Amino acid sequence: MSAPGRNTTTTRWVLLATVAVLTLLAVGVTWLEALHPQLDTGGHAVAGVPPLAVEGEPACRRFVEDPAIEELRERLRSEEVVATIQQELTTGGRVSSTQVFLCPSAYDGLEVSYVGEVVGELLPRRGGAWAQVNDDAYALESGPLVGHRERAGFNTGLSVWLPEELAERIEQPGRPALRGDVVLLTGTIHRADPADGGGITLRATSMEHLASPLQVETPFHTLQLWVAVVLTVLAIAASLWAYRRRRG
Amino acid sequence: MSTVLRPDVGDLKLIGYYLGKVLLGLGLLQLIPLVVALALAEWNSATAFAIGAALAIIAWALSDALLATRRGLSWAHGMVIVALAWLIGPLFAAVPMLLSGRFTDPLHALFEAMSALTTTGMSVIHDLDHTPLSEDLFRHLLQIAGGLGIIIVVLSVFAAGGARITTLYVSEARDERVLPNIIRTARFIFTVASTLFVVGTTALVIALIATGFTPGRAVYHGVNLFFSSFATGGFSVMQSSIIYYHAASVELIVGLLMLAGALSFGLHLALWRGDAREVLRHLETRTLLATSTLFFGLMTVGLVRVGTYDSVEALLRKGLFTLLSAASSTGHQVNVGDTYLSEWGLLAPAAVVGAMAIGGMASSTAGGIKAMRLGLTVKSLIHDLRRILLPESALVVTAYHAGKRRVLRDETARAATTVLLLFVASYLLGVVTALLYGELDLTQAIFEAVSVGSNIGISIGVVNPGMPDGLAAVYILQMWLGRLEFIAVFVLLGYLLTLGRGRVRT
Repeated sequence: MSAPGRNTTTTRWVLLATVAVLTLLAVGVTWLEALHPQLDTGGHAVAGVPPLAVEGEPACRRFVEDPAIEELRERLRSEEVVATIQQELTTGGRVSSTQVFLCPSAYDGLEVSYVGEVVGELLPRRGGAWAQVNDDAYALESGPLVGHRERAGFNTGLSVWLPEELAERIEQPGRPALRGDVVLLTGTIHRADPADGGGITLRATSMEHLASPLQVETPFHTLQLWVAVVLTVLAIAASLWAYRRRRG
Repeated sequence: MSTVLRPDVGDLKLIGYYLGKVLLGLGLLQLIPLVVALALAEWNSATAFAIGAALAIIAWALSDALLATRRGLSWAHGMVIVALAWLIGPLFAAVPMLLSGRFTDPLHALFEAMSALTTTGMSVIHDLDHTPLSEDLFRHLLQIAGGLGIIIVVLSVFAAGGARITTLYVSEARDERVLPNIIRTARFIFTVASTLFVVGTTALVIALIATGFTPGRAVYHGVNLFFSSFATGGFSVMQSSIIYYHAASVELIVGLLMLAGALSFGLHLALWRGDAREVLRHLETRTLLATSTLFFGLMTVGLVRVGTYDSVEALLRKGLFTLLSAASSTGHQVNVGDTYLSEWGLLAPAAVVGAMAIGGMASSTAGGIKAMRLGLTVKSLIHDLRRILLPESALVVTAYHAGKRRVLRDETARAATTVLLLFVASYLLGVVTALLYGELDLTQAIFEAVSVGSNIGISIGVVNPGMPDGLAAVYILQMWLGRLEFIAVFVLLGYLLTLGRGRVRT
């Protein structure tokens, strides 16, 4: 049996060593991630994206702040905005998905334009297909978060109903390391679309391709491979050592 | 006054030895996405999983070789091991996540790992819709491992002796032993999970193919959806969660799986034996039915008053599904987070908060205060009222049904009420911290704090990749406390205190 004093010292050292190892682990992994080779995303930005018709991201609450909803609807319909939009487009002004989600009532039933990347799959139904169309920075600016650190938060996008003739023109929806078709859509926003069980949707009536699918080549992290190899060898060796020690 | 003994090196060795086994489980778990990454040529993901698995296995090998001990597990050891396992586990699980480059910083990677393992389902991942499939699979695998209980998963496979791990099982906030023997309990849990995996995934795959998925993609989505639904986790393959599928059939199957996940394994056993009456008589079932009916009523009134939806179908697919997701503590979303604020008025989100606070059943994969505790607290309140109203000479006995007829004892009621109050304290901690940042209103702060604290995962938009580190840290603490239901964490704190102040063992 060990002496109490020695016991306490050993206990402290064990705890300190554990904390030190975990800290080292966190620092090491962060360092390794920081050394990931980076891509130049300069060419990933989509050209020809019209400006948003409404500045900022005004929020409202249904029947809590009615004036805000009405004001926003007025702004979207205002002559000045319409004039600006008509210079760029022949239909409604461009909205972002975040703008719609922050105040769906303001956009309900309005014809708008919307730009985004088709991601995932097209889900065919009678007469058309549902598509998830994202308008986040990965879709319109930097491309999929592969080989760069332009982290821009969550994906955001609208559920879009594409009539058959539009759905057929989608070449490839986005997948890992692949940006799908980027399209400029015009259509009507539905705050609670009965065809989608009450979801917020955009029912598209026309579509223009702004960018073709973009496959991003993931730069290989060679150093990470070597670290993996060394650690795997160490793990196998340590496991064998533990096995033999337990048996012996 | 008794003196607390200071833990010695032998105690730490014992704790380290069992923690090593948990890390072995996490290491082996990472081999699955590693194989998937290799098959899909996701090379950087493959090396990240190799590093994560290797680090965990090295830690296990060292602990197994150097810390093996024959000392028995005490209750305190069990509690400390479990509390630490739920801290160290997410730390190691965060390694491949951090290496993926999809998280703002190490703290956010830890948040994601903790959220996955505790089956909270809140995510802070950047660009999920372009995430390599192996990385996404890993998030979902963590949820099913966490939902079934890492301790029960790992120790029943790698540890010898059921008696030794009983303490760990109970410490992992699983206070109801389904069968007398812990190994048999573990086997039963695996049997239920495996059966439902086959049935649930098959149903999902068929439904997904019917909605337009290719068979390969249907299998991928189906497997992940099963993991996150039955584990009551709530992660999703696509950022838009269940909205993505545009299919009532998928929502129905997911809803049934969420219900199955929220059902205690004791009641699964009763159903397995064809004893549906037991399910209906159980205090938890009755409590959940009563509270869910109440909250759905309130939600309906709220949504109808505000005019959010104008059809019964929408009310069911958006309202009832959300309530089910909250009550089962899953967190799958059929509404975009912002719209709870912009479209749902005030009463409907309040009903969701109420359902989230209560959560599912004890000894299930669900989180929250748990219906059993609420039921016991209400029974206790009624008991006290009866005692006051009846003549002093009257003998007041309150009974409830939980597997068998039980008499409500003071200590049972006190334990339930204490944990209930601790959950409320956790919610308050999250609310106050969120409000301190000055950018959120009370509705947002309450909604998110309750969702995180109960390990639910429905978000009103506060949790996001850009949230402040301080708030992320508090939410991590809330998730940890909520999963372990406080007691194991308090024992760990006590243990750490005794390291400095307790009487030295001689």
